[in-house]
Amino acid sequence: MSVLLTGEQRKPFSGSQTARWLLAGGLPLMVVAVGIAALGIGRYSVPPEQVYRILLATVLPIEPTWSETDARVVILLRGPRVILSMLVGGGLALSGAVLQGVFRNPLVGPQILGVSSGAAFGGALAILFGLGWVFLVGSALACGILALVIVYAMSLVDGRTPILMLVLAGVVTSAFFTALVSVLTYVADPYSRLPAIVFWLMGSLATATYPRVVPAALPVLIGGGLILLLRWRLNILSLGEEEAAALGVRVQPLRWLLLVAVAAIVAGAVAVSGVVGWVGLVVPHLARMWVGPDHRVLLPVTLLLGAAYLTIIDTLARSLTPAEIPLGILTALVGAPVFFVLLRRTRGRGWVDA
Amino acid sequence: MFRRLPFALTLLTLLAACGGQSAADETVAPITAQTAAITVTDQRNTTLTLNQPAERIVTIPIPAAALMMAVDGSAERLVGIHPSSAQAIEGEILGEIFPEARTIARDVVSEGFAPNVESILALGPDVVIQWGNRGSDLIEPLENVGLNVVGLYYGTQEDLETWITLFGNLIGKPERAARIIDWQRNSLAEIRMQAEMITDERPSILYFNRLRDEMRVAGSSTYNDFYIQLVGGVNPAAEITDFATVNAEQVLAWNPDIILIGNFDDATPDDVYQNPLWQDMRAVVNQRVYKVPLGGYRWDPPNQESPLLWRWLAVLAFPDVYLFDLRADIRANYQLLYDYTPTDAQIDQILHIDLNREAATYERFINR
Amino acid sequence: MLELTDIGFAYSAHNWLFRHVSLCLNASEIIAILGPNGRGKSTLLRCAAGLLIPREGSVRQANSIGYVPQSNQVSFAYSAFEMVLMGRARQIGLFAAPRQRDYDSAQQALERVGLAHLAERPFFHLSGGEQQLVLIARALASESKVLILDEPAAALDLHNQKRVLRLLRALAHQGLSILLTTHHPQHAQFLANRVLLMYGSEDCRIGLADALLTEANLSALYGVRLRILTFEEGGTMRQTLAPMYADD
Repeated sequence: MSVLLTGEQRKPFSGSQTARWLLAGGLPLMVVAVGIAALGIGRYSVPPEQVYRILLATVLPIEPTWSETDARVVILLRGPRVILSMLVGGGLALSGAVLQGVFRNPLVGPQILGVSSGAAFGGALAILFGLGWVFLVGSALACGILALVIVYAMSLVDGRTPILMLVLAGVVTSAFFTALVSVLTYVADPYSRLPAIVFWLMGSLATATYPRVVPAALPVLIGGGLILLLRWRLNILSLGEEEAAALGVRVQPLRWLLLVAVAAIVAGAVAVSGVVGWVGLVVPHLARMWVGPDHRVLLPVTLLLGAAYLTIIDTLARSLTPAEIPLGILTALVGAPVFFVLLRRTRGRGWVDA
Repeated sequence: MFRRLPFALTLLTLLAACGGQSAADETVAPITAQTAAITVTDQRNTTLTLNQPAERIVTIPIPAAALMMAVDGSAERLVGIHPSSAQAIEGEILGEIFPEARTIARDVVSEGFAPNVESILALGPDVVIQWGNRGSDLIEPLENVGLNVVGLYYGTQEDLETWITLFGNLIGKPERAARIIDWQRNSLAEIRMQAEMITDERPSILYFNRLRDEMRVAGSSTYNDFYIQLVGGVNPAAEITDFATVNAEQVLAWNPDIILIGNFDDATPDDVYQNPLWQDMRAVVNQRVYKVPLGGYRWDPPNQESPLLWRWLAVLAFPDVYLFDLRADIRANYQLLYDYTPTDAQIDQILHIDLNREAATYERFINR
Repeated sequence: MLELTDIGFAYSAHNWLFRHVSLCLNASEIIAILGPNGRGKSTLLRCAAGLLIPREGSVRQANSIGYVPQSNQVSFAYSAFEMVLMGRARQIGLFAAPRQRDYDSAQQALERVGLAHLAERPFFHLSGGEQQLVLIARALASESKVLILDEPAAALDLHNQKRVLRLLRALAHQGLSILLTTHHPQHAQFLANRVLLMYGSEDCRIGLADALLTEANLSALYGVRLRILTFEEGGTMRQTLAPMYADD
């Protein structure tokens, strides 16, 4: 940063300097590397050197040494899928970290607000009526936001929303929409609609296309950008309502600003990939163990780590076996043991008593 | 979903013997024919005795309704069917063959295949046909109120023949059931014989159970795998067991010669032809993507018309080896199954001529 | 600096926790609030800090308030420095992050409370006394001229009590105004220019510490007999308070 820093002066980040270093250079590079590797892996084999040439050919005039099909597999098939897995993984992980900070609770994930189940209901509804994916995405987004509005209305006490009421309202809303999803699976035709709904609910990126990147990208970029701008404020918010207020923070508007951003990201993610669990819970913990609890560092690290994590998981899901492995199963199978081992090793570093 | 039944054949012979006996009873003692007791053993190995052929039948497995109509040659005994069975009758040819089938009660399930016991009781059935291998929750509520339940397994040719025999016995028409089975077995033998003469390279044939929202293919130990191999093809998805969801890249890696699109979603050959990724795939280049026909029932799973599917697929896989006249076969065998002669327009509808017209070899099936 | 005029607080109508409390905190002044548990000392403090709105009366703050809560339950393992830095929230825009002058200010605040060497320690690993000092540093980092502290030395051992009390006295000498609650009359005796005694919901008395901290007043306040002992040590007269727990 600056050579003027003396021993007396404070460095901008009090956490370990290495963390900042990794954030600045290493982690984004790692995410790019994971992305390129993922573009080169799949059931259809494209030689690695061709993958680089195909990628370079999108910006440079290179004489094709590859087949049309090779290029289509890399650009049209794996391309949107890798981008989506990064957006969804990064978005869900970031959402989880924000919610854990806002609720000051390590067990909170993107499901807590009821937005996931709201969006799940919206998507299932669109499938039930046999509407196209544009309606599916729109309906999932709309119902996800609707869930948040319901949570807000229910948790309002004297113009404020205490954390406890917020959690209760989230649980209630979540249960309500989950029941509605059950109703849909109950009335769905067991041969045609039901398998489609179940498949979508389990979570998958198998149907990724470039047009579907947009509904995931917009909320993640806008909501995520907003969250990253507010990341230092989140430190203060995580001290608790009274302390934050005493430090001059307007708690209610700040909290709702963050929650709306999170809701948009989660709804967008559910809309394009169904309900993918575990990412929002595990990745923030991994990041916190690594770089500590300061949200200024934690949030960008969580975002990048989540992007890399889900990309790796999804690459495994689509290439380990001829059959697609549902994402939700892999995120839990890989996430849970890794999470447990790390938790034991670090004994919940980052949390006061986890 | 599909369960192989090693002992099905044994069961079958037992049942055939049983059916033969009741037929013999009828001829030897015509006076008691009206009240001749019927004993059947279902696929759960539960034995059931009826005082007389079943007159009022409720079917819950979706393919059972159409099969029962074929074995009976009428829809009159069916008093309640699964709503999805009803759906397959209404818009399709079976509704035209048996107009009375459109008014059969369909409120027999509460959810999925769980029986709605009270409305079934109200229908007063002699027997309820139900899945036998999907948990006791589907059967016990019916048996607890004293209903006769026939439990079925599903998925193989043996299962299908067992169903036909069982149904024939239940309604006191074992000869008719035997004729249908004979036809199926003869067709099978005929195709097997011709398949042995194939010297050409065997085409790989990929069957999509679903394609639009999810790409679901049939692996080994499925009925689809059975008939792909029967006609002399190779199932590229055989490395997978049962049905599984795959991605577009895996399909590309398999590069099948022929693609079959099933009737469990609304997908059409255009969904394959227009996928930019699959432009160089052999099935696309050679225009060998087909929507599977839908007659008295979907042709892709085991059903009473399965021999027609075998012939359809055989011609498409080896146009030079198999020389069936499918339209004539359909006409002849609809007579056997339903005592009905379909019109040319109806046959076009069964064969999805509208969707498959441009595909390779399909001119063989088009009426000239 | 801070002026409370005839304020009263009630959680429900006519169920007054306290009423008719007025006080005016001057520059460099320390006012201690004393009273038994449940009289509303902390509530009064929160009203003064602007965290609660009194049901009647008015609170006027000429300056931003640095509030130091009684106990701090942090969920995250922030370092001491990060905790102090959060005191800069008012100086930093909504979407901005701390800059060099905020780091300098936080560092100075930690130095003022004598904990610069513990900056990198996780806050919750610090002793109770050190935590209290860090929270005071956080209030200092916010550049407030008024400190409001809820039981700043309540859970501390004698050594740490001394550290905190002497720091507060030094801060008042440097021009800060301090309002605090305490359970220890001797803390008030050591620190306060004036004291507020909360006898009952509508019975509060405010006055100079020397005048109000009498045996009779304190005995009446707590319902425990207190003696003020005066003795001579090294040529100066000293005073201490002794509760007579055995008496009745």
